[in-house]
Amino acid sequence: MPILEEPIKEPFKVRNYIGGEWVESKGEIVDIINPATGKVIGKVPISTREEIEAAAKAAQEAFPDWRRTPPLARARCMLRLKELMEQQFEELSRIQTMEHGKTIDESRGETRRGIENVEVAAGIPSLMMGYNLEDIASGIDEYLIRQPLGVFGIIGPFNFPFMVPLWFIPYALATGNCIIVKPSSEDPISQVKIAEMAEEAGIPAGVYNVVNGGRTVVSGMLENRGIKGICFVGSTPVGHDVVYRKCGETGKRVIAQCGAKNFLLVMPDADLPGTIATCMTSFFGNAGQRCLAGANLLVVGEGLSESEHNAFYKKIVDVFVDTASKIRVGYGLDESVQMGPLRDKSKKDTVTKFIEKGVEEGAKLRLDGRKVKLIGDWPHSCFLNPTVFEDATPDMTIGKEEIFGPVAAIMRAKNFDEAIEIIHASRFGNAASIFTQNGKLAREFQYRVECGNIGINVGIVAPMAFFPFSGMKDSFFGVLHGQGQEAIRFFTESKVVIQRWF
Amino acid sequence: MSEPLPTTSAIINFSEKLEDDSSKLYETLAQKFTQNKELFAGFAQEGKKNRTLIVRTYQETITDALEACFTFKGFKLENYGAQRTMPEGTGYSDALKIAVQLEEKACKFYLDAAECGKSLLATIPRAFQKVADTRNKRRLKLMSLLDSAK
Repeated sequence: MPILEEPIKEPFKVRNYIGGEWVESKGEIVDIINPATGKVIGKVPISTREEIEAAAKAAQEAFPDWRRTPPLARARCMLRLKELMEQQFEELSRIQTMEHGKTIDESRGETRRGIENVEVAAGIPSLMMGYNLEDIASGIDEYLIRQPLGVFGIIGPFNFPFMVPLWFIPYALATGNCIIVKPSSEDPISQVKIAEMAEEAGIPAGVYNVVNGGRTVVSGMLENRGIKGICFVGSTPVGHDVVYRKCGETGKRVIAQCGAKNFLLVMPDADLPGTIATCMTSFFGNAGQRCLAGANLLVVGEGLSESEHNAFYKKIVDVFVDTASKIRVGYGLDESVQMGPLRDKSKKDTVTKFIEKGVEEGAKLRLDGRKVKLIGDWPHSCFLNPTVFEDATPDMTIGKEEIFGPVAAIMRAKNFDEAIEIIHASRFGNAASIFTQNGKLAREFQYRVECGNIGINVGIVAPMAFFPFSGMKDSFFGVLHGQGQEAIRFFTESKVVIQRWF
Repeated sequence: MSEPLPTTSAIINFSEKLEDDSSKLYETLAQKFTQNKELFAGFAQEGKKNRTLIVRTYQETITDALEACFTFKGFKLENYGAQRTMPEGTGYSDALKIAVQLEEKACKFYLDAAECGKSLLATIPRAFQKVADTRNKRRLKLMSLLDSAK
């Protein structure tokens, strides 16, 4: 099938956006590589400490005016931003495929999810309202108002280069804060495009800043006392040991959404065709590079004899392997492709090591994705095909560590209670799903499982923009979450006024 | 390897091309057979609206969490092939026959897509169904013209 037209024809030169100006960085310049084709599609700077400090200063200076801008005017900026995103929907989506590798359907889905956050934030005149009560004592009234805090840093991950920063950006801006965005240096072009649109939408100079780079930029954000809070999405070691800890030291608010190891339970009464289709997207969508991806498939023998459980397990494994083996892997701009590459070669190498470890520790490799078969003639450097292990156990490396790649580990649990115990033994608590027709069991699952996002016959528990993106245990550090009302509370201070007139 | 073209994107792309080609066909018919100029020009215009409806519905409802790459498993686009151009010198009756066949295939495509797309958000199968209804009405109208032409 022909490849859709690529929107990036020449290498895209990424610049920083500081104080309303697109500026060159003095830092080292590195290549942005399309993981499917291996071609250089852009150059991104690794910015310096001085550059993040300049952005923080510009944001602090812009804050008083932006804060005084009426919420309705800020909402209109969001509506204009949404309109620009709709106009450029297809280009934005194809850029994501080029810089990240995901399929065009996945990219369009990501674009839509991002836009939905801008739509929700456009309701800020209602969302930001406080509340009041008169006559709390004789002639005395009390009310609560929400006020912005100042400057926030937003650190984006590589796996959703467009959408994830938008879990925070529109809410921060709409509530009257200023922001500095640090996109992943692996795929920063989407965020540059959003900043260009924000500029066009009328967001004033200094309110919205983008500083590209790596650790230096992150450290600069974390150590800057003028930055009031950080939103981070990435790995658990960085999220906990660096971001969360440093925010505690410097008194910053923090949302740190981190790693995951998500379990999907299949009960004997599950609708098999629906479950398997959902599992394919859950385990192999985005090439497994998402914190809501399925990782361990638990085939539960609730109410079955041992032989019945064995037969049920075998049936699930066989259908799962057969379906996964037919997934078409290739360049995401080919519309016949169902799974793209890993973001880069080092990520492929990491996933490959996990597969080796799985074999070493005794799991049965039913489908070996290291034998790469592609649709189209592309370099194999970042590609893996779907991999499926059966007879894995929760204590194996592949059963407990986050792989972040297209690898499924299928396991057994004797019954529902054992399945819950297995989930609770994991240090992560991002998402878990159950596939069943039994409402009582589903409710029990939702009630007991210690995970922030619960799916009932849903494989990817991605909350809509008007719900928070939750998480527990080592998957989340902080109190309030991104998206919706919780984001509004995160980006505002509650001030209580008690008034009396003599 | 699995059956080709099962992604939602491929289905939408097929639909866009189908509407574009159909509109061009009816523009040609409107120029060539002036006795039904308004009707054919109306069909051409309707095709543009169908295209907009399908693309807008898809873009507004697609999310990364749906099974977009797996929904249309087994769907074979080659089953919906039909002649979409009018060879030079085609007479009125033959032109109508080509148009009727195109509408039959288009209608079948949209009905099957609506059925397969039920696991996606409701707006997607609803849009397919709406276009199927539109094209079925067109088919009936063309058949009555064909009967009159005999």
